[in-house]
Amino acid sequence: MFFLTYLRRELRRRMRQAIFIALGLAIGIGLVITVMGASAGVKAAQAKVLRALYGIGTDVTVTTKPKPLSSRPTSGRATGPGPGGNAGHATVCLNGKCYTSGTIDTLVSGDHGALSAATATKIAQLNHVSAAAAGLLLTDNRIVLPKTSSSQLQPPTSISVDGTDISHPRLGPLSNASLTKGRTFTSQDANANVAVVDASYATAHKLTLGEAVTIANKKFTVVGIVTQPQAGSPPQVYIPLQRAQALATDLATGKAMTKQINTVYVTAASAADIGAVQKEIQHLLPQATVTSSSDLASEITGSAASAAKLAGALGRWLAVLVLIAAFAVASLLTMAAVARRVPEFGTLKALGWRSGRIVSQVLGESVSTGIIGGALGVGLGFAGVAIIDKIAPKLSATVPSATGGGLQTQVAGPGGGAGPVSGVGPAASHTTIAVPMSASVTVTAIVLAVLLAIAGGLLAGSFGGWRAARLRPAAALTRVA
Amino acid sequence: MDITHGTVSPAENTVYRLAGVSKIYRKGGREIPAVIDLDLDIKPGEWLAVQGKTGHGKTTLLQLLGGLDRPSRGSVEFGGTDLAKATESQVRSVRASSFGFIFQTFNLVPTLTAAENAEAALIPLGISHANRRERVSKALDSVGLGDRAQHLPAELSGGQQQRVAIARALVKEPRVLLADEPTGNLDEDTRDEIIALLDTLWRERELTLILVTHDSVVARRAQRIGLMRNGRLSIRQDTRA
Repeated sequence: MFFLTYLRRELRRRMRQAIFIALGLAIGIGLVITVMGASAGVKAAQAKVLRALYGIGTDVTVTTKPKPLSSRPTSGRATGPGPGGNAGHATVCLNGKCYTSGTIDTLVSGDHGALSAATATKIAQLNHVSAAAAGLLLTDNRIVLPKTSSSQLQPPTSISVDGTDISHPRLGPLSNASLTKGRTFTSQDANANVAVVDASYATAHKLTLGEAVTIANKKFTVVGIVTQPQAGSPPQVYIPLQRAQALATDLATGKAMTKQINTVYVTAASAADIGAVQKEIQHLLPQATVTSSSDLASEITGSAASAAKLAGALGRWLAVLVLIAAFAVASLLTMAAVARRVPEFGTLKALGWRSGRIVSQVLGESVSTGIIGGALGVGLGFAGVAIIDKIAPKLSATVPSATGGGLQTQVAGPGGGAGPVSGVGPAASHTTIAVPMSASVTVTAIVLAVLLAIAGGLLAGSFGGWRAARLRPAAALTRVA
Repeated sequence: MDITHGTVSPAENTVYRLAGVSKIYRKGGREIPAVIDLDLDIKPGEWLAVQGKTGHGKTTLLQLLGGLDRPSRGSVEFGGTDLAKATESQVRSVRASSFGFIFQTFNLVPTLTAAENAEAALIPLGISHANRRERVSKALDSVGLGDRAQHLPAELSGGQQQRVAIARALVKEPRVLLADEPTGNLDEDTRDEIIALLDTLWRERELTLILVTHDSVVARRAQRIGLMRNGRLSIRQDTRA
């Protein structure tokens, strides 16, 4: 009771100094919370990007590099009018077969090499693996050849297609999607021509449930429409894996991909096992590329990555420096206050007060100031995070694309000279997407703020208390005289 | 005048017995003696005034008597405890229970009220809050400040502040009251009031009062007057009628 009365009165007497110390600590703590909030926001944004690529439950993905192209599977040329006055036609050759009219619709695997479908089963049997799902990331390329020589050859269109392992709905790109209409796949769909379509694609192509989307010249009925939390490179159309295997062609070999896959999504038994899982898979498949979420995160570039680095490095050090400065100022001011109160403490010692009691009084005052600073700091932290939310520009992330095999096409109009008009190969394998950043104050940040406030108060009070404890009453009272 | 120089009282019944006490300060490798070879007995209930010029060791003697400092040599026996050799905890305990201090500059805690300042002296004794309040109330009444209990020192006159300091010294019911120039900061009228109050309390409570002063008017109220000169004490016996 007396302790609190004395503490309260003393803080009131030194209100300006107490406010100054509390504000210093508040700025430091507020900065720590803001930096942590921003950092958490950037990390969450990155995680969203990663989840959109490979799904929520995926710890590790397994792919292989594609084999070098054995031949130029697709080439084109445009022929001009001959001496007889014949109109020229665009010609596209695919796997040794040339087309001058009609529609060419191929489903190909470009970015990743083919793996045996049994690979997923083998990986699933490894020690630290909880589950493994097969995947076939493909691109459907569609070229419509002109009917008449006067028409221009239209640029090809590409759709990113995911052959989804229906038996593992919690793994792979579709696991992260939210169903907005219809249904997702069931076990009865394994060999059915049904598709789940990304909402953005459906909107762009005015697709609704029950309508058909054409993949490799086959019509797939749209049974569901989904949205991914991060609009970017997720597949546009999902079809059952078996159907994808039946229709796909390996771009490198030109062969069908029956009983083949090109990606395995793996969940480790625990987060601590991810490293072990990577090693086990690498041992099982020496040629495979085994990528963990953290590996993938390091591949992300763009402003999101820059913001993460900024928050992680500069922000952290700035916060630490401000905190050190605040702690130092608080300590110096507390020591100065103790110096001014030497006669008071000398008198209390003369009255028989223990040094410990005087030290605890000084500590109590500085910890109280620290707690006030901590409370203000939490408020400042919330304000800082809110400001970041308001003013932070949308970040961009350049991520490795989940699908590939798009056409890189150069189109020459009819009448042009002979020569290649298009080439097929792996498309650019990175995509830049906009990432909305939402900074938030975490419980950890608040707990850390309280601990920092108490630590700051204790540190400042310890210096002052140490000085008060060392006072000899006679010397203190002589100071009065 | 009957003046003795550094004599030991033959009385058996003493509250203080100082023998061969010296206090030497060291400053910049130089030794500065403040008290030299002092022998002194003080009886219970005695009023001893110590006079002397500034820098001749009056306050140092009071600090040695109050356990606020230790002698460089000799013993300071109080109630059978040698304050020169006792542990810091023992000395602190004696200070808390047996000594009441009054200072020239009052030394009140400026943020605490008159009652709280007096209460501060009871904190080391571990007395209950209710008991503390009761004793504080009586102490303030005894110095005539019962109606100023909730006033801060800044709201009181110099004389009233010194009364609060006296209440703080007396609230623990000490055996010895040690006063260092208690009227040094007061005008003559207030000085007389304070001395009259101390006289009354000394008589009523049978206190041992040791008072350091340069004021001869104040010193003449004491039973014995000691004169400190260059660290040595001369005692003039039984000045009081």
